[in-house]
Amino acid sequence: MDAVETPVPEGLAVTREEVTADELAALGVDLERDFPGSSAADFRRYPVLTEGGWFTVVKHQKTLESVSRERGPLLGPIVLTSDGLDVY
Amino acid sequence: MTSLKDLDDAQFAELYGSDRFTASVLASRMRYIVQHMCTGLLNNAFSLILRDWYDFAATISGPPEQNYPMSSVSNSLAMFLGTMSEAVRNTIEEYGPENLNPGDVVICNDPYRAGNHVNDVCFIRPVFHEDKLISFVTLRAHQLDMGGVVPAGFSGTKRNVYENGLVIAPTLLYRDNKPVKSAFNLIFDNARFCALLLPDIKTIYQNLLLGEQLILESVERYGVDAYLGAVRYATDVSAESMRTALAGLPDGVYEAEEGIDCDGVDDSIEYRIRLKITKAADRMELDFSGTSPQARTSINAGILDTKTAVGVALKFLVDPVTPFTSGAYRPIDIVLPAGTFISATPPDGAVFLYWESTGPVLLAVFRALEKALGRKAVGGDYGSLNIHNANGVLADGTPWVTTAQCGGEHGPWGATEAGDADSYSVVYQANNLDPATEAIESEVPAVVLRKEYMPDSSGAGENRGGAAVLKDTLYLTAAEHWSSPLHTKSASGVGVYGGRAGALGATWVFDPDYKNVPKEKDLIGTDPEVYAGSTPVAGMLDPRTRTVDPDGEYFYFASTPVWHTKPNAVFRYLTNGGGGWGSPLQRSPERVCRDVRDEYVTIEGAYRDYGVVITGDPHGDPEGLKIDHDATAERRAEMAVK
Repeated sequence: MDAVETPVPEGLAVTREEVTADELAALGVDLERDFPGSSAADFRRYPVLTEGGWFTVVKHQKTLESVSRERGPLLGPIVLTSDGLDVY
Repeated sequence: MTSLKDLDDAQFAELYGSDRFTASVLASRMRYIVQHMCTGLLNNAFSLILRDWYDFAATISGPPEQNYPMSSVSNSLAMFLGTMSEAVRNTIEEYGPENLNPGDVVICNDPYRAGNHVNDVCFIRPVFHEDKLISFVTLRAHQLDMGGVVPAGFSGTKRNVYENGLVIAPTLLYRDNKPVKSAFNLIFDNARFCALLLPDIKTIYQNLLLGEQLILESVERYGVDAYLGAVRYATDVSAESMRTALAGLPDGVYEAEEGIDCDGVDDSIEYRIRLKITKAADRMELDFSGTSPQARTSINAGILDTKTAVGVALKFLVDPVTPFTSGAYRPIDIVLPAGTFISATPPDGAVFLYWESTGPVLLAVFRALEKALGRKAVGGDYGSLNIHNANGVLADGTPWVTTAQCGGEHGPWGATEAGDADSYSVVYQANNLDPATEAIESEVPAVVLRKEYMPDSSGAGENRGGAAVLKDTLYLTAAEHWSSPLHTKSASGVGVYGGRAGALGATWVFDPDYKNVPKEKDLIGTDPEVYAGSTPVAGMLDPRTRTVDPDGEYFYFASTPVWHTKPNAVFRYLTNGGGGWGSPLQRSPERVCRDVRDEYVTIEGAYRDYGVVITGDPHGDPEGLKIDHDATAERRAEMAVK
């Protein structure tokens, strides 16, 4: 039997995309007013699973406050083997 | 944000379409309805997994324009609850709500669409009021078999969705209250034990009708606006309750790791969950980035199962009082890459023993939040259902199957601030019954020889973890077995607030050539020397004596993917022990002495783990035990210095 120390493969990660100041402004965020002391570098865009299913959020990383929540695909990142099959 | 309690009557009525009292009555009534559906199913179920395990759950969801809020769940299998709001949304959106009619039932069992495993079929009934879709009643109920290469399905060795079992995309099962024969044929041409499945499905259908009827009676009495408002109100209450609970935790970043031993191919890969929890004000984010890729066999969990584990953990730890609805997730975001062993993808990431992988998710949340919770921290449980699945043939050729009856499915919980832990329950994510020994033995050629607690296995603490359970089962015919103890390398019974971890469990099989129990009319003992004659199935064991040894070698559960045994073989399961709470040195000597009297702790264990010196004979004269208080003070002083 092998010893207990077995290798753990490198894990997978969700990428958190950077967000520009222009993108934040387009979302109606006034950094000075809404997040004093923060810059665009404090925000990230990424998919989350929550109460209502999958959403792509733009979120202030320190306060976890979302400035945008857009509905994502129904199954999020799952690709079914039947996806893309046109039966009609 | 205005609290629900601070809304005045006019604001409340505008938001929820009724007065506060009516909304509360309707929210309570929805819980009554799902419970009634479950009672009906329990009273009439035929298959053992429903009747004896309570392996089902019922929910009510709101209509598509509300985004399918799940407003009530039954007090039953918790592992289903976090998946079912998505199960309804994903199934109905794919099927098309516009294609639904009164009298329909739609089914889906795809783990990637609906969560859980293929045997857990979702039966969804749309509820119409005056031709308008207002709700869904859903029963998810484990079907004894759903095809695949293993009878009854419970195995960690199936390699992909094709071996795993029949996957049913959203499919119409009843139309105009009549069975759709092609859908039944799809199941019955692929599944075993259909003579049991058919009456179970008919029972499920009748209880969907009951749920629908009770909803429509509610609507008739209180009005549809009040009903739809109450659906939202119920979820808003949950959301507010979770928000308030989260606000009470200190802000910060909390991290933990957990995992399982290996998959069903070999023991060369350990699967680890990496969890980073960020908590700010009344919001929380749980990021599972860094988690191991999906396993090569059916020990994986799906994304929705991980969502359930997160919800159960947080309800358990921070918001245990209010009823669970989908609203509990409103202040919580889950960040989860696809393709890990807790977010497996088709066709290779087969999902079956999903709780084995999401149990560590729950445990990781427990570990991560331990410091933030302080006295409110909760010890870990026994960590693996250790499910045993076996089948064979009686002398007359009748096939038999046992599933989740004769392994180590029940065991201890961890201690809390409130007191010692229970020693015989089901893992935190479940909420099931324990199949009666008499029921098992009346239906399966098996004899349950032992169900007993293992002394000194509890995590020591001011409050003690539950004791590990040792269970022996004798199989009277030749059989093939799938054993799935997946958390034996490290303690799952995590100690908290200064408490210690529970002991490690293991599994063995005893060949009748070593000990023929019926012939010798004697049980297999529990002394260390008996294990030398066993075949280890799983655990950290001394390779010579084959007794549990945390520093020993790992014995791999699927080294023999299917364990074939002759008549009169005995499987022995020993669960992990539950975690302790608080320093063992703070436990009163009187409580330790009571544990020695009850044989949860030995005299040696009392000295070693608690610093309590006890004299006497626990077995022969349990009431005559004496505490040596002077020696105890001396021993505890020594231990405190260390």
